[in-house]
Amino acid sequence: MALAISAARVWGPRRQAVPLLLRQLGARGLTRSQLPRWQQQQQFSSLDDKPQFPGASAEFIDKLEFIQPNVISGIPIYRVMDRQGQIINPSEDPHLPQEKVLKFYQSMTLLNTMDRILYESQRQGRISFYMTNYGEEGTHVGSAAALENTDLVFGQYREAAVGAAYAAKRANANRVVICYFGEGAASEGDAHAGFNFAATLECPIIFFCRNNGYAISTPTSEQYRGDGIAARGPGYGIMSIRVDGNDVFAVYNATKEARRRAVAENQPFLIEAMTYRIGHHSTSDDSSAYRSVDEVNYWDKQDHPISRLRHFLLSRGWWDEEQEKAWRKQSRKKVMEAFEQAERKLKPSPSLLFSDVYQEMPPQLRKQQESLARHLQTYGEHYPLDHFDK
Amino acid sequence: MAAVSVTAGRLLRLRAAGAEGYWRRLRGTGLARSFLQPASAGEDAAQTRQVAHFTFQPDPETREYGQTQKMNLFQSITSALDNSLAKDPTAVIFGEDVAFGGVFRCTVGLRDKYGKDRVFNTPLCEQGIVGFGIGIAVTGATAIAEIQFADYIFPAFDQIVNEAAKYRYRSGDLFNCGSLTIRSPWGCVGHGALYHSQSPEAFFAHCPGIKVVIPRSPFQAKGLLLSCIEDKNPCIFFEPKILYRAAGLNIMSSPCSVLNDKKKKMEQVPVEPYNIPLSQAEVIQEGSDVTLVAWGTQVHVIREVAAMAQEKLGVSCEIIDLRTIIPWDVDTVCKSVIKTGRLLISHEAPLTGGFASEISSTVQEECFLNLEAPISRVCGYDTPFPHIFEPFYIPDKWKCYDALRKMINY
Repeated sequence: MALAISAARVWGPRRQAVPLLLRQLGARGLTRSQLPRWQQQQQFSSLDDKPQFPGASAEFIDKLEFIQPNVISGIPIYRVMDRQGQIINPSEDPHLPQEKVLKFYQSMTLLNTMDRILYESQRQGRISFYMTNYGEEGTHVGSAAALENTDLVFGQYREAAVGAAYAAKRANANRVVICYFGEGAASEGDAHAGFNFAATLECPIIFFCRNNGYAISTPTSEQYRGDGIAARGPGYGIMSIRVDGNDVFAVYNATKEARRRAVAENQPFLIEAMTYRIGHHSTSDDSSAYRSVDEVNYWDKQDHPISRLRHFLLSRGWWDEEQEKAWRKQSRKKVMEAFEQAERKLKPSPSLLFSDVYQEMPPQLRKQQESLARHLQTYGEHYPLDHFDK
Repeated sequence: MAAVSVTAGRLLRLRAAGAEGYWRRLRGTGLARSFLQPASAGEDAAQTRQVAHFTFQPDPETREYGQTQKMNLFQSITSALDNSLAKDPTAVIFGEDVAFGGVFRCTVGLRDKYGKDRVFNTPLCEQGIVGFGIGIAVTGATAIAEIQFADYIFPAFDQIVNEAAKYRYRSGDLFNCGSLTIRSPWGCVGHGALYHSQSPEAFFAHCPGIKVVIPRSPFQAKGLLLSCIEDKNPCIFFEPKILYRAAGLNIMSSPCSVLNDKKKKMEQVPVEPYNIPLSQAEVIQEGSDVTLVAWGTQVHVIREVAAMAQEKLGVSCEIIDLRTIIPWDVDTVCKSVIKTGRLLISHEAPLTGGFASEISSTVQEECFLNLEAPISRVCGYDTPFPHIFEPFYIPDKWKCYDALRKMINY
């Protein structure tokens, strides 16, 4: 009995069960055994033409043909503005109010300013490591603006993002989970796992891939041979789109619609935002070792998300040179003040090295903590204790 | 008839070789008994396969937690999971094949009872199972993930070590995945070979931030599993698969033994939830001359060894079930060794880098002057877990007994 139930669950009240019954009854409603032998063969001929495999819903074909991956003319790139910041198709204009668009612009430029200052500070030895966002500000701001404050953001951790989305769905929380990753990270096994789980378990999640052309020094031609990341989505049964990542309105529109549908329909969405990494991978990288300065300059000068939005603002009369000058000064000041304030703070006490390994500290770890404390009492002069809290 | 003469011939050869001890050992394992059985088609071939290398010793029933019911290991696991899903509405169970009840029947009935959004199958992807579980736990919901065999946990190693174990630490306690528990069948099963027999606890012992727990019996399993599920840290719960079923391994050499074995692996287990604390080893038998430490199935092996030692050598053994591998109960083990002066640790996992090394190292640091003999480790060999050579590979009671004897005579 239990076996029958579990069998029913496997095949279930879905497409496979019905054809099976038809097959048994035959076209005239007679069971196979009721038909004379010479007729039994013929009964099934029309049904034989329809594949019954549980694994795929498709027609038969009698011609040997391999599907050619389409990489010459790939999935088209959705954009709202041209490079001069003009709306191309008015029906796609999000019609955002001035104050919101200004917030987009100021967020992108503030980020850019912070990047410059922090990159410099690493060069000066004041921080240990930094990664800039040059050229990709549109992807961050456009997508973030389309989310709610209660939505969950994962900056990687693709599978965990799916789990969080599943829990959000169960909790009826009306939250979407968004998970950001680069086209390099999309090669990791956990991207595959994340996509597959999100689709099979029907999770309200947006997979946001920033395809910026490089994974450190590895260009996309060495990262994949298919049509980017967007083309993988349909392979998993995921709604997918490719957008111009340097067009903040396109990013905004796509993310907004993906969010609405992901939550309403409990299904994943994949957005591949095409962009270009203008800066080095990090402060430990010098990209002139693997790409030309001309290539970088092209993107910096001809196709930059901040410039494009500025053109839009200027053409609307929502921004001008004076405001630009004043804002640059103000944003620089803001970042410098925050930086200096943070720099003045002492680092946390070395005893905190041992906290939060577990919720509670196990006795063996406490012993190790005490052993470090004793060690510092004797050898403290050899450690940078001045920069740390007691 | 031919088979009888073959086996009889084999018997004579053994005798002739003067392999008394070997013969006795064969008899002890039941193999010899099968040699002497009259031949009868299929059954004979079956009967020459090995029988269990241990005798399950149930603990006496406890009345502490209310009404009890006879359960074997997989039933006690089901009971724990049932209790968890009943009292925690956020709790979900997922993994490969858990929906229909699981390949070891641990989740039977739960999907019908709690719904398909709470007990569900995942695609075949261990890193996905654990990563997904981490995500559920991060939102505060209770995630109970199953990895179908501990041998398959390695694709999830990165998720466990780099993500789950470090989640709280790296976020300064802003986030955590403490409500994640990973359950997985573990250890030798008589015929599991390379990929259905492994005991990977040592790999995880080296990973601060997670807990690793291994029960020896149905009663212990339910209490420990409930503690793992409720613990605020990600936990791995390894379930000795050889102990799952009432009927035991494939073969016993006679119908009577099958019945006896059916009863043997069951215990009276409370129906209501109860907790057994983590990171607390249990002294299941007190003794004065030597400390024996093991976990999971091996606890039953060393129990027999203790009985043998008492009977043949007049040696009194103190038996400790470690229960939690990390963080482990150093104090209980050291306290015992200080008393006895001798320590023998035994596990199926390979010797080098096995968890006995950690215990041995710590004990010699803490109890050096109390030791009467070098610490003894009786473990699997440094090979992959073999298929047909399993009876020779496992640290059975004879190897443990022999090591103990040497320690006493040191």
